[in-house]
Amino acid sequence: MIVKHAPALLVAIPLVAAYLLPLFARRLKHLVVPAALFALLLCSAGSLSLLFQVMHTGLIIYHFGNWPPPVGIEFVVDRLAVFTVLTLSLVGFVVLVYSIDDLRHELREDVRGWYYTLFLTLLASLYGMAMTNDIFNLFVFIEISAIASCGLISIKEDRACIEAAFKYLLLSALGSGCILLAIALLYMVTGHLNMTYLAQAMLQAAELYPYNLLASLALLVVGLGIKAALFPLHVWLPDAHAAAPSPSSAVLSGLVIKIYAVAMIRLLFQVYPAAFLARTPVAEIILWLSTLAILLGSIFAMVQEDLKRMLAYSSVAQIGYVFLGVALGSENALTGGILHIFNHAVMKALLFLAAGAFIYATGTRKIRDLSGIGQTMPAAGVAFAIGALSMVGIPLTNGFVSKWYLALGALDAGRPFFTAIVLVSSLLNGIYFLPILINAFFRKPSGNAAAPRALPTPMTAAIVVLAAAVIVFGFFPGRMAGIVVLAVHRLLGVWQ
Amino acid sequence: MVPLTEMLYRLHQNSFYFFAIILFIIGFHTMLTHSNLIKKIIGMNIMDTAVFLFFVATGYVRGGRAPVLVPGEERAFINPLPSALILTGIVVAVSVTAYALSLIIKLYQHYGTVDAEEIMRIRRGEEQ
Repeated sequence: MIVKHAPALLVAIPLVAAYLLPLFARRLKHLVVPAALFALLLCSAGSLSLLFQVMHTGLIIYHFGNWPPPVGIEFVVDRLAVFTVLTLSLVGFVVLVYSIDDLRHELREDVRGWYYTLFLTLLASLYGMAMTNDIFNLFVFIEISAIASCGLISIKEDRACIEAAFKYLLLSALGSGCILLAIALLYMVTGHLNMTYLAQAMLQAAELYPYNLLASLALLVVGLGIKAALFPLHVWLPDAHAAAPSPSSAVLSGLVIKIYAVAMIRLLFQVYPAAFLARTPVAEIILWLSTLAILLGSIFAMVQEDLKRMLAYSSVAQIGYVFLGVALGSENALTGGILHIFNHAVMKALLFLAAGAFIYATGTRKIRDLSGIGQTMPAAGVAFAIGALSMVGIPLTNGFVSKWYLALGALDAGRPFFTAIVLVSSLLNGIYFLPILINAFFRKPSGNAAAPRALPTPMTAAIVVLAAAVIVFGFFPGRMAGIVVLAVHRLLGVWQ
Repeated sequence: MVPLTEMLYRLHQNSFYFFAIILFIIGFHTMLTHSNLIKKIIGMNIMDTAVFLFFVATGYVRGGRAPVLVPGEERAFINPLPSALILTGIVVAVSVTAYALSLIIKLYQHYGTVDAEEIMRIRRGEEQ
């Protein structure tokens, strides 16, 4: 019985927990962290149950309050949604475990309870965005996630964080304005907000009001592009992700920007009529922007001295892979792009958490001050190395799998140039990750790196789990890729 | 070529949309070009208001009134759905504004100014 309500509970549980936590923080301090962990544990169980249901029935449709669409709000859990929800649960839970000890040195004690509130609110909105089938509901979740993620940055209250959060908030408000205007334009000509009905009504509207659809498409690509940090709209990302506390960086870089990409995939493949999109240059535009993102993101990353800033620029490049897959549109490319959402979430979370561990232990975030850190902190060092190699795309790591699909997909689409781009970008990744590894493992430890603070067990455990996930999904990509391939079939079935 | 009177008539018919777009551009421009942080926030609010006006106008019926049914009275009603949605939108805009203003207060405490260019200058000066 309760399993039937899993889609709604996945949003409700973290939201309710988020509002209870400040109360706990006031009266029952020792219960804050266990309560947050318990909420996410329930969410993980919920997403596993969704996975089993979807694998059996193929599609779950949930009507809120039993109001059927087009009146009521509808959640549709297809394989794409399940895949996203699983990614959220896995990475979210691991990051939460890590944050327990990391926050002790990054945040003041009185705001730590609020941190978990923001964290759970953010996850609730991300779950909602992954599953909702209502375009206005999508907007509401986007706004919740925008405020919560800015909060996760500014909670540290030092100057850099406030500035980064303000920049992010402003650009994100710009994006929200564009998205809401696009929704208004669509509602104006179709009279629907439910995506399924919208898609049907748009077949006719595309002939009658092509300019409305065109304007709304442009506004959506810009709005979601800002939020997903698609080049050249990524300007807020390096500051925001570098300044935030390490667990926030892991979630923001690993999960938040990807969910907007998922929303864009949904709108492009399931809402806009394929015949209409074929008349617009939107695929070409996204294709070239993502190519620029992949190349320039890596080049910017090379010149950074700050470890977290370098990882943030690398996220700009990696989100390019997702959009590259979307824009190429062949089955393999789309599989690679969507699979990269999971793979990059795991490895970028791993890298940010490992970087956070270095910062925790040594107090420095400069790359050149970290020489020999791999010898004095073997667990975090090796985990960082695994993440870095996966980023480069060494076989038997999960980063290789999605790049492989993308490279094949570019060939399928008849654009071998973009296969070359994928290869070149692997080289570029190597250029900025390998010197760090050489520095960390083959140089003599010096300065703070010679005598790091001991790492608390939960932090080490979180890093090791993610490193293991990188390897496991590199050796056995079949299970995840299987879900994604089926999700892609559904997307392309509507597309053609 | 559409005659001028016809064009003005159409403009009049769609005046809500026209002015909403103009407001949107004003807000967008203010937000991106002004270096004063408070003005940026004002621009953001103008932009949001423009979108709200646009959205509500899609549901407006000329001569219509709020859909409160009175028995025995035949009248044109406006579409209440956009208005209801925009209530949510307004709540969101208010909370974003409040949050942004609180961030500006923090910035002012750190730098003693609310001018983005001034803040950049102070930071550059510190780095050297």
